[in-house]
Amino acid sequence: MIRVENLHKEFDGKEVLKGISIEYKAGECSLIIGASGSGKTVLLKNLVGLHTPTSGEIWYDDKAFTTLKEKQRKELRKEMGMLFQGSALFDFATVEENIMFPMDFFTDWSKEEKLDRANFCLKRVHLENANKKYPNELSGGMQKRVGIARAIALNPKYLFCDEPNSGLDPTTSIVIDRLIQEITQEYNITTVINTHDMNSVMEIGDKIGFIYQGQKLWEGSNREILKSDCKELNDFVFASNMAKQLRALMK
Amino acid sequence: MKKILQTTGEYWTLMLKVFQKPEKWRIFFRQCAVEGQKLTLDSVPLISIISIFIGAVAVIQTINNLESPFIPKMYVGYMAREILVLEFCSTMVALILAGKIGSNIASEIGSMRITEQIDAMDIMGVNSANYLILPKIVSSVVLSPFVMLSSFVIGLFGGAAIIAATGAITMAQYVEGLQFAFKIHYIYYSISKMAVFTFIITSLASYYGYYAKGGSLGVGRSSTKAIVAISVLILVFDLALTKLLL
Repeated sequence: MIRVENLHKEFDGKEVLKGISIEYKAGECSLIIGASGSGKTVLLKNLVGLHTPTSGEIWYDDKAFTTLKEKQRKELRKEMGMLFQGSALFDFATVEENIMFPMDFFTDWSKEEKLDRANFCLKRVHLENANKKYPNELSGGMQKRVGIARAIALNPKYLFCDEPNSGLDPTTSIVIDRLIQEITQEYNITTVINTHDMNSVMEIGDKIGFIYQGQKLWEGSNREILKSDCKELNDFVFASNMAKQLRALMK
Repeated sequence: MKKILQTTGEYWTLMLKVFQKPEKWRIFFRQCAVEGQKLTLDSVPLISIISIFIGAVAVIQTINNLESPFIPKMYVGYMAREILVLEFCSTMVALILAGKIGSNIASEIGSMRITEQIDAMDIMGVNSANYLILPKIVSSVVLSPFVMLSSFVIGLFGGAAIIAATGAITMAQYVEGLQFAFKIHYIYYSISKMAVFTFIITSLASYYGYYAKGGSLGVGRSSTKAIVAISVLILVFDLALTKLLL
């Protein structure tokens, strides 16, 4: 479980996050949605420690992440996995070396054990026989799958995904979404996904937090989002004319 | 002034992250071998070509300037040796390496920064600065005497080659000049300078790459900034070390 309490973040005096409080549970896919520039990426970067909050607290179960010392923080990081928007696979390494990278640093496993684990992770994301390929030889969807395989290599308790569907076609997006959902439920991971893809919202949004101008304006599930009365949320979800007409029909 | 202070502060903060105990020594030594090959050993052909020509040019220019019959011809070898050991094999080679290695490091690390590969390492709990930068610095500094000495020896061969080709002086005079008033201290001085310059090249290029921002244009900008800063610092340290060591 991850708990965010009254989180503020400023850049050069400009407040980007304005007191966000939210809770993410294990075994659920929790989505952060919002327009570009609303602060959702900043929120995610604060959660994983790439940014330091101006004030507020972030709790990982019973550990206050914001006040942990560097050594303790490093230990906690071993329980985190992250899928980046552009996959962020290491160019210098093959697919299997990418997945074995965290194992090289944080386990004393033999080469065979690491290879077995890498093969298991690749099988789990339905990407066998790509071990020796380099990231630039893979399609966008395949890179995302390798990113997921690398993120789950050390059995993380917390999984973060930054726009996992960006640059993917709708069919591949759904495949990636379902994969993330399956892994979340299978290993009881606390998964936080930053997205503005409405297909993802409807497909896997167990819990959704809508961020608007640095504030959390709405919170609910994918079933509740269509019935919301929050004007800003409705403007975001039903942005196109067709969607607005559909909304009117639903009402 | 504020910018210089900020850059200096950021640089030393990064160096504190870099000079920490590696997570696993096995990975560190493996990376040192990879970086040593990529940065230093792969630069030897370029350095060899430049050294051979500079050695030859130094000899031709000295011959042309020693017209007086009262000056022994062996001074050609002596002066070529002094030019190479005192300035060319350390400062000039370092400036050449600044262009090759400096841009390589800054663009490689900068690309990793803008494609979030460095963030990925940090989130895993890997000290990205230590993993990426320390092996580059250590392998380059450790191999710097080899670079300086190979440049020196190849430069002397360049001089010998032009003498053999033109017959301007005899080879015996050239070799006598090379042995004349030889000071081993100059070799140590040159090696020391090269080690300092190599540290400047690798650490500054890494710094500019590590803090690159703004997409591919930003990577290009950081690479250019790195080479300018490295070149200026090499010249400043050349002056300081010469004053200090000679």
